[in-house]
Amino acid sequence: MDPGAARAAVGIGRGEGGYVRRYLSVLALVAVLGLVAAACGGDDEGGTGATGATATGATGELQPGGTVELGMLGDVSASFDPQKEYYSVTWSWYRCCLLRTLLSYTGVTTAEGGTELQPDIASALPEISSDGLTYTFTLKSGINYGDPFGDVQVTSGDIVRALEREADPDASVGGYNFYYNVIDGFADFGEGKADSIAGLETPDDSTLVVTLTEPAGYLPYLFAMAATAPIPPLNDQPLGVAEGHTRDYGRFLVASGPYQFAGAENLDFSVPADDQKPVAGYEPGKSIQLVRNPNYDPATDGLRPAYPEGFNITIGGDNNDLYNKVQAGELDGVVDGIVPPPVLRTYSTDPTLQPRLHINPSDAVRYISFNMAIPPFDDVHVRKALNLALDKEGMRTFRGGESVGEIAGHIMVNALENNLLADYDPYATPNSAGDLTAAQEEMAQSAYDSDGDGVCDAPECSDILAVTDEADPYPDQAALIQQNYEPLGLTFDVKSFERTTMYSKCNEPEAHVAICLAPAWGKDFPDGYTFADPLFGSAAIFPSCCNYGLVGASPDLLSKAGYDITEVPSVDDQIKAANQQTGDARYQGWADLDTTLMEQVVPWVPYLFDNNVDVYSERIVNYSFDQFSGLAAWDQLAIAPEAQ
Amino acid sequence: MARAHVEDAPSDSGPDAPIDPEATSVEVSQQVVGRSPWELFWRRFRRDKFAIGGAFIVILIFAIALLAPVIAGFTHGPNEVHLDRLDSFGIPTGPQSGFPFGVDTAGRDLMVRVAYGARTSLFIAFFATGLASLIGVTLGMLAGFYRGKVDTLISRTIDVVLSLPVLLLSLGLVSACGLSPNGCLGGIIKPGLLLVSYVIALFTWPYLARIVRGQVLSLREKEFIESARSLGSTNRRIMFREVLPNVAAPIIVYTTLIIPNNILFEAALSFLGIGVPQETPSWGRQLADAGPVFTYAWWMMLFPGLFLFFTTLAFNLVGDGLRDALDPRTGG
Repeated sequence: MDPGAARAAVGIGRGEGGYVRRYLSVLALVAVLGLVAAACGGDDEGGTGATGATATGATGELQPGGTVELGMLGDVSASFDPQKEYYSVTWSWYRCCLLRTLLSYTGVTTAEGGTELQPDIASALPEISSDGLTYTFTLKSGINYGDPFGDVQVTSGDIVRALEREADPDASVGGYNFYYNVIDGFADFGEGKADSIAGLETPDDSTLVVTLTEPAGYLPYLFAMAATAPIPPLNDQPLGVAEGHTRDYGRFLVASGPYQFAGAENLDFSVPADDQKPVAGYEPGKSIQLVRNPNYDPATDGLRPAYPEGFNITIGGDNNDLYNKVQAGELDGVVDGIVPPPVLRTYSTDPTLQPRLHINPSDAVRYISFNMAIPPFDDVHVRKALNLALDKEGMRTFRGGESVGEIAGHIMVNALENNLLADYDPYATPNSAGDLTAAQEEMAQSAYDSDGDGVCDAPECSDILAVTDEADPYPDQAALIQQNYEPLGLTFDVKSFERTTMYSKCNEPEAHVAICLAPAWGKDFPDGYTFADPLFGSAAIFPSCCNYGLVGASPDLLSKAGYDITEVPSVDDQIKAANQQTGDARYQGWADLDTTLMEQVVPWVPYLFDNNVDVYSERIVNYSFDQFSGLAAWDQLAIAPEAQ
Repeated sequence: MARAHVEDAPSDSGPDAPIDPEATSVEVSQQVVGRSPWELFWRRFRRDKFAIGGAFIVILIFAIALLAPVIAGFTHGPNEVHLDRLDSFGIPTGPQSGFPFGVDTAGRDLMVRVAYGARTSLFIAFFATGLASLIGVTLGMLAGFYRGKVDTLISRTIDVVLSLPVLLLSLGLVSACGLSPNGCLGGIIKPGLLLVSYVIALFTWPYLARIVRGQVLSLREKEFIESARSLGSTNRRIMFREVLPNVAAPIIVYTTLIIPNNILFEAALSFLGIGVPQETPSWGRQLADAGPVFTYAWWMMLFPGLFLFFTTLAFNLVGDGLRDALDPRTGG
């Protein structure tokens, strides 16, 4: 508060010398501005010239050793609880390092086979019965847990234990247990109607037989997810070491991979669960420390080179600061950061730095979604017109330019369709910059354009409720979107929210959000089902997630949520049909669904197939991209021998 | 116009009066020119260079705010995205021909947005402050004049409002009412510039109320009030015709001094993301947007920052000058 007014508030002000006060306010303002400037990243540009004598991208043998130092902006989403974590960052750490599953991936790109399932705990891919209802897995022997269960071997019963925990709605809250409803008896067990899962049988310790309620071509992928990683037994407790840890098993996680949390040997499971102390190597919100699992036998693996001795991850900090540290060589990389544009520019244009820049498709799509129950978006011509009018290249520029992704002409990422639609872009425009004329021609066919001049003149086109993300660069993108759509007669009332709030508003039919400007969607596992069902299946509408367009919504649901529109096109049948296929026919099924969606349903304007872009320090001489999680294969980061 | 009182007699009219040394004593007294209080005020104010300077800047900012659409008409609209002014990595370019202040991360003309930001700041300055003034003066007068229970009630209300955690409450109010598409209380409190103004007014009226109350408490004991009452004036008449004119000067001064605080308050709220809506240009939000890109887009912080600084400074200087000129006993 102004010092003079404060004094005056006490009584009739008799201030000290007015000139002194004036200078005080000048100084105060200067100080404030200075603080603002200093607080807002006055760091020096990180030195890009740390050209040591070490060879970058060195050929020759990669040597194990050294500890990788990483920064991480945000913590994992559920404290490493494998039945709850629905976050690709955590999944990347499970796959590479902490947990093995019946099947897994090799931590390489799609082209190198990174999306093909490989046996991990299983000794081979499962045998499938001819009716597609029974899958039989045979387990390897000699796979030991991490400390403090180093002398315990993984058995098929341990996998069942993980699935029983997955069926418990409390233990798997926030996770993806809906995928496993296809296992016979899974839902019943979760509701307490049975005391075991009927569709899971363990004739012996190295055999697991899974019986389904209906054929599901994606089932093997489900056994490559961390929720099915084995949980060691403890006494005769049904949930083994996880007993009593419904909320916080992640802090007592027993590893099965090449690494474990530091201090795992001090975990004491002999005392009651509430008295146990969590593992030292994970301090929520602060740090993660992984060390080698001394009981891990590489001969039983083949998917994980596991070069580093360990990982030190510091949680928190500012994105710009962390990348400055990477440039200065104080950090090896940032787990979940976004490379700031000037850093990207530096690494892209400097030939000595380019080897440290890694760009790979992350199998995620960015899009604008329509609520097809709110006018004018109930009219397919309007939706098509908006597909034609968007400057997708401009949207990409705001994210950092060409490196950050490929312009998306359709909905599902190409890898999930085996590239069948790689050149398919039904609303292509010159340079992907949007084509106003074509858009107006489409709009002219709409009922909301009564005079057919290509500009909407109905009141429904004014002040349309739009929701976007408040973080960069979404507000800038919102400005471009409005600029692109205004010549079509559409104006928007744009509200920005924090990301999770934004998603919930887009997902809530009763919020009557007409258009969602900032969503993105990545695959859960390398199959088109993880795009089709959660995004366009009618069962994925609130209270489930994430069908924001209300595709396939029933008249009942629509009227309960207060809509006048009584029906929205559905693709449920097509999803089901595609899901029952396997092999090439399955890819074709997803491609056909994509085509139907783009040409007939038009629930979205997809604009970008995302890339993962990252930079690493000079001493990292090997890098591999794990296509499954869309992040680095951390165990394949090899440190230059002289820097270990 | 206020009746002249002994205490408020202009003190410098005597020495300044030109004296004709050859005039008789009678003529001398006739040549002493009495100046009205406003003339005296203006002379004192005029002599204060800082205050005049501040006033010029205020007028200039006003002009910029008024002319913002004209400026936009000659250059670019405030929301026009110019992708060609971003490089291929999306990095904005700085001051250049056609864009004297450069562009922001969305490729919009920063000069035009800064000009529109002046509108936001001045609207807040006058509307929010005016509202605070209205409430504060009214309640302060009532409290000081009636005393007793009325005073107790109002004074305790002042205490409570002054104790409220300002930022936390603003956050809560703007979040609750600002983010839901329909606002609060069935749409009465809608998100936007008005909501922010109400919030700012809510937290600043107590300062004025206290000042006015203090003034009124001392004034009501004066003889002219007694004589007005003995002549049969009602309370309301006394308040409006006797008391109010005599507190006008402090009201003007402290209202002017609260303006820069309110401008900074709105800037702070917008900086924190709970101020005016995204599309409304605001210097505070422009500063917030400039933070993460400061190292490679310094112009985004420099220009809004300078404008905010000089506007706030100017109002402070004018307010100080007003106070010194209206009541020289409190000046330096």
